[in-house]
Amino acid sequence: MIRLDALSVDFDERFQLHDIKWTLRPGEHWLITGANGSGKSALAAVLAGDGDRLSGTLEGVPERVALVSYERQADLIAAERRKDDADILDVMSEGTPVAEILGDGCEDLDLARNLVDTLGARPLMNRAFRKLSTGETRKVMLIRALTSRADLLVLDEPFDGLDHDSLIWLQGHLCELAETTPMVIVLNRFDECPDFVTHVAYVDDGRLPLCVERGDEQAYAELYQLLHLKTSDLEIPAADPAAQLPALDPDKPLVQLTGATVRYADNTVFEGLDWTIEPNQSWQLSGPNGSGKTCLLQLITGDHPQCYVNDINIFGYQRGTGESIWEIKQFIGYVSTALQWEYTVSTGLRNVIISGFYDSIGLYTKSTDAEKTIADEWLALLGISDRAEEPFNRLSFGDQRLVLIARAMVKHPPLLILDEPCLGLDDMNRQLVLALVERICLGSETSVLYVNHREQDRVAGIDNHLTLSDNTGA
Amino acid sequence: MANYFNTLPLRAQLAELGKCRFMHLNEFSDGVEALRGKKMVVIGCGAQGLNQGLNLRDSGLDVSYALRDEAIAQQRQSWKNATENGFTVGTYEELLPTADVVLNLTPDKQHTNVVETIMPMMKHGACLSYSHGFNIVEEGMQVRDDITVIMVAPKCPGSEVRAEYVRGFGVPTLIAVHEDNDPNGVGLALAKAYAVGTGGHKAGVLMSSFIAEVKSDLMGEQTILCGMLQTGSLLCFDKMVDEGIDAAYASKLIQYGWETITEALKYGGVTNMMDRLANPAKIRAFELSEELKDIMRDLYNKHQDDIMTGAFSSGMMADWANDDAKLLGWRADTAETPFEKTPASDMEIAEQEYFDNGILMVAMVKAGVELAFETMTAAGIIAESAYYESLHETPLIANTIARKKLYEMNATISDTAEYGCYLYNHACVPLLADFMTGITSDMIGKGLDIADTGVDNAHLIEVNEAIRSHPVETIGSVLRGHMADMKRIV
Ligand SMILES: NC(=O)c1ccc[n+]([C@@H]2O[C@H](COP(=O)([O-])OP(=O)(O)OC[C@H]3O[C@@H](n4cnc5c(N)ncnc54)[C@H](OP(=O)(O)O)[C@@H]3O)[C@@H](O)[C@H]2O)c1
Ligand SMILES: [Mg+2]
Repeated sequence: MIRLDALSVDFDERFQLHDIKWTLRPGEHWLITGANGSGKSALAAVLAGDGDRLSGTLEGVPERVALVSYERQADLIAAERRKDDADILDVMSEGTPVAEILGDGCEDLDLARNLVDTLGARPLMNRAFRKLSTGETRKVMLIRALTSRADLLVLDEPFDGLDHDSLIWLQGHLCELAETTPMVIVLNRFDECPDFVTHVAYVDDGRLPLCVERGDEQAYAELYQLLHLKTSDLEIPAADPAAQLPALDPDKPLVQLTGATVRYADNTVFEGLDWTIEPNQSWQLSGPNGSGKTCLLQLITGDHPQCYVNDINIFGYQRGTGESIWEIKQFIGYVSTALQWEYTVSTGLRNVIISGFYDSIGLYTKSTDAEKTIADEWLALLGISDRAEEPFNRLSFGDQRLVLIARAMVKHPPLLILDEPCLGLDDMNRQLVLALVERICLGSETSVLYVNHREQDRVAGIDNHLTLSDNTGA
Repeated sequence: MANYFNTLPLRAQLAELGKCRFMHLNEFSDGVEALRGKKMVVIGCGAQGLNQGLNLRDSGLDVSYALRDEAIAQQRQSWKNATENGFTVGTYEELLPTADVVLNLTPDKQHTNVVETIMPMMKHGACLSYSHGFNIVEEGMQVRDDITVIMVAPKCPGSEVRAEYVRGFGVPTLIAVHEDNDPNGVGLALAKAYAVGTGGHKAGVLMSSFIAEVKSDLMGEQTILCGMLQTGSLLCFDKMVDEGIDAAYASKLIQYGWETITEALKYGGVTNMMDRLANPAKIRAFELSEELKDIMRDLYNKHQDDIMTGAFSSGMMADWANDDAKLLGWRADTAETPFEKTPASDMEIAEQEYFDNGILMVAMVKAGVELAFETMTAAGIIAESAYYESLHETPLIANTIARKKLYEMNATISDTAEYGCYLYNHACVPLLADFMTGITSDMIGKGLDIADTGVDNAHLIEVNEAIRSHPVETIGSVLRGHMADMKRIV
C-alpha cells in the first residue's frame, strides 16, 4: 500500500503540491486527472521520486517505478545533449542509438522485440535517440517502461501522439499488464480512461481535493463534467444582441445604499449601512447566520418589502419612485438556495436557462431561436448538451445549481448575485460551482456579488469584502 | 337596499350573465399607465389586501393602506401586515380624501358598512374597486354617481396572487365595470391597468360583469369546490371505517387524496383524471359518477336557483343579522366529525394508490365538476366563467384540505363560501345516504380486486368518448391551451 500523508513537495520552486492525502491499495489502478497546470503530472512524478519533500510523509512506494512523461522525456534528451557537450573529440557524435537506450534496463527482450514491431519502431533502432521526433521519442520511452518489469507503472498521457492502431494495441496491452502490475495513469481526457482503472484522483491547483471510485457512477459523471468545465476552452456564451439591456451610466455606481436599515417589530437586523457597488467591481459579502446577508441582498433585488422605506439608488433608479421590480431585476442575475427550492418546476433544462432572459420562474413566453441557441451553448459549457429536454426537477441538486447559475448569467447582467452558491453541495459539486463561477469572473463584464462565509470557497478575482456582524450592522 | 340583479329586466339579466370574454394579451399593452402616479388606497390588509398591494407596488404603483381606527389602535394583524412591509398606513380621514382609487378588500359581510362609511370621504370622480361583486349585486349597494366602480377579482387565494407574481407570472383574473357607475368611461382602462399591476394579465383575464362574477362564484364555491369536497370527505371516511379499514389510513387517503386526484384535473381536465385509473376502475368511476349526477342534479339546480333569485343571499344576510348563529353552529359541528377528529396515519401512500383506492372520490369530483358546469351554463353563465368557477378552482381548494382538513378549507375560504358549503353539505349528506349503502371498500379504501380486470372494448370506447366530449372538457382544453401558451410549467 502506498500512502501519502499531508505531503507537500516542491518542484524547483516552479510548482508545489500541497497537503496531499492519498492512499493507493493493492489491486487498485488510478487515473489522475485535472486541468492543465493543476499539478497532475507533478503528483505522478512524486511516485517516481521526483521533487523535494517539504513536509508530510510518503510511504510504501516500490523500488522499481517506471515513469513515462514529457518531463522524463525532456530530461533524457537533455542528458543526451550533455553527453555531446562533454565529448572533446572533434568528431561529431551521433548520440546514443535507440537500440542502446532500449537495451538499458530491459528485462524482457521478447516483449521488447514484439513492442518495437507492433509500434512500428523498427526503423528507429539505429537512429540517435536525441534526433527523434517527439512522437517517436515517446514510443521509445513507452517501450522502455513496459519492458522494465517495474513494480509500479506511472504513465503520464501515454496515448498522446499515438496513431490509432498503436493506441488500440497499447490499450489492450495495458489491460493485460494490469493483471500483474499496479498502474497510475495521467490523462487530460476522461473518455480515454482504460477499463481497468478503478479509481480517479482529481488534482486542482496543487491539491488533491477529490478521489472518486470508478464504480460510483454519479460521482464519476460529475467528475467528468467538472473536468469538462475546467479543461474545455469553451467561452462564456455571448448575450443575445436582440435583447440588449438598457445602457447604464458607466460613471454611476450600480448600487448605492445609504443608511440601509431592516427592522422588524421586535428586532433590528442591521441599521445605518452604507454600501456602494461600482460597475465591474466584485464583492464578497460574509457574516454569520442571522447577520442579515440575505436581507441585504433582497434590498438590492427588490425582494425585501422594506426596500421601499430605504434610500436605495440602483441602476439609475431611486427605489420607490414608480419603477417596477422587473425594471430592476432585468439588470440582476440571482442564484440562491431559496431560489432553487422555489424552482420546483418540471420545465426542461433549456427552458429553465431561457427563463433567465425573463427573470421568471418557469417560462411563460414563446422563446426566440436566438435564445434557444444561447441556452444550448450554456448547456454545452456545462457538459450536459444531451440533457436539454430533461425536466429540471429530476436533476441532481448540484446540477440544478449549475443550471441556475447559467440561467442567471444568460443575459450577461451587470450584477450577478450568488447567495451561498455552494451551500448544501458536496465537495465535487462545490468544485463544479466554483469552476463555473471562476469562468464567469474571468470572461465577462459582470460584477459578481458573492455571499459566502466559507473561506475555502473564495473565488479568484473578488477583492472587495463586506462583513456583517451579528445583528449589529456593518 | 334591494337585490340589484332582481331589479333588472330579464333581458338585461341574461345579457349580464352571458358577459364573458377571454382577453388577448395585446389588449394590455398600455401596462399600468392608467394608474401611474394615481394614489391607490387599500381598505383592509388581509389575504387579498396585502398580497394585491405588494404586487401593485412592485409594479411601480403608489399604494397605501387605510385601516379602521381599532385596527391601528390595537396594532392588529392587518396593521402589522401593512407596516412590516413598509407601507404607509393611515386612518380613513388621513388617506381617503386624496385617493384616486380605493380598493375595498374587506370581508364581503362588512362591505355595506365599510362603503357607507368611506363614500362621503372619497373625492369627486374617484374610483372604487372590489374583488368580489356581492355587495353591488346581492345587496344592491348604491354608489355615488360621480364614482367609477370596477371589479378586479383574482381567481385564487391571496397567497397564490403573490407567489405567482414573484415567479414572474400571475393568476387568472376576472375584471368588470359596473355599468351604472362609469361616469367618465374610464372604468375598463383602470381595471385593465389594475390587472396588469397584479400580474393577472399574464395568466389570462376574463372581461365579465359584476353579475356573472357573483352568480358563478357563489355557485362554484357552494357546490363542487367546497360543498362536494366536504360531503365527500365525511361520507367516504365513515364508509371506510364501516368497512373495517384502519381509520388513520382512511383519514390520510381523504386528506391528501383530494389534492392528488385534482392535481391530475389541473393538468389535463376530467379526462386526464379518469385516465389515471386502470380501465376497469375507470369504468366503475364513470358509472358511479353518472349515478351521483342523477341523484344530485336537483340539488345543484336548487343552489343555482336560490343564487339567482337572491334567496341564498337573503338567507345568509339573515344569519349575519342573527350573529352568524347558523354559520358558527355548523362550523362547530364540522369540527366534531369523525374525519376531522381522526389524525392521518403517517404511513406512505403512493401517488397512484390515491387513485386506485379512491375510485369513489374520483367519481365525486367528476360528478361535481360536470354538474356545477352544466348547471351554471344552463343558467346563462358563459362556459369560460363556469370553467374557472368549477374545474379550475377545485385543485386550489383541495390543497387547503391537504394542509389541515376541513378546518383549514373553511378557514381559508370566505364566510360566504363557508356558509354555502355547509348549506350544501346539510342537504347532500342525507341525499346520498341510500347511494352510500351500496358502496363497498373496493370503491373506496381498497381498490378493485386484481382478478376482475377484464373490460369490454365497446363499452370502454363509449365511456372514454363520454368523458372526453363533455363541454367542460372542450372549453377546458381551449383555456388550458391559452394558459399553456404562456405558462408552460402547467
Ligand atoms: N380569499 C380569497 O380567496 C378571495 C379571492 C378573490 C376575492 N376575494 C375577495 O376579496 C375581499 C377580501 O377578502 P379577504 O379574503 O382578503 O379577507 P380577509 O383576509 O378576511 O381580510 C379582510 C381585511 O379587512 C379588515 N376588516 C375586517 N372588517 C372590517 C371593517 N368592518 N372595516 C374595515 N376593515 C375591516 C380586516 O382587518 P381588521 O379586522 O384588522 O381591521 C382584514 O385585514 C372580499 O371581497 C373577497 O370576496 C377573496
Ligand atoms: Mg371563487
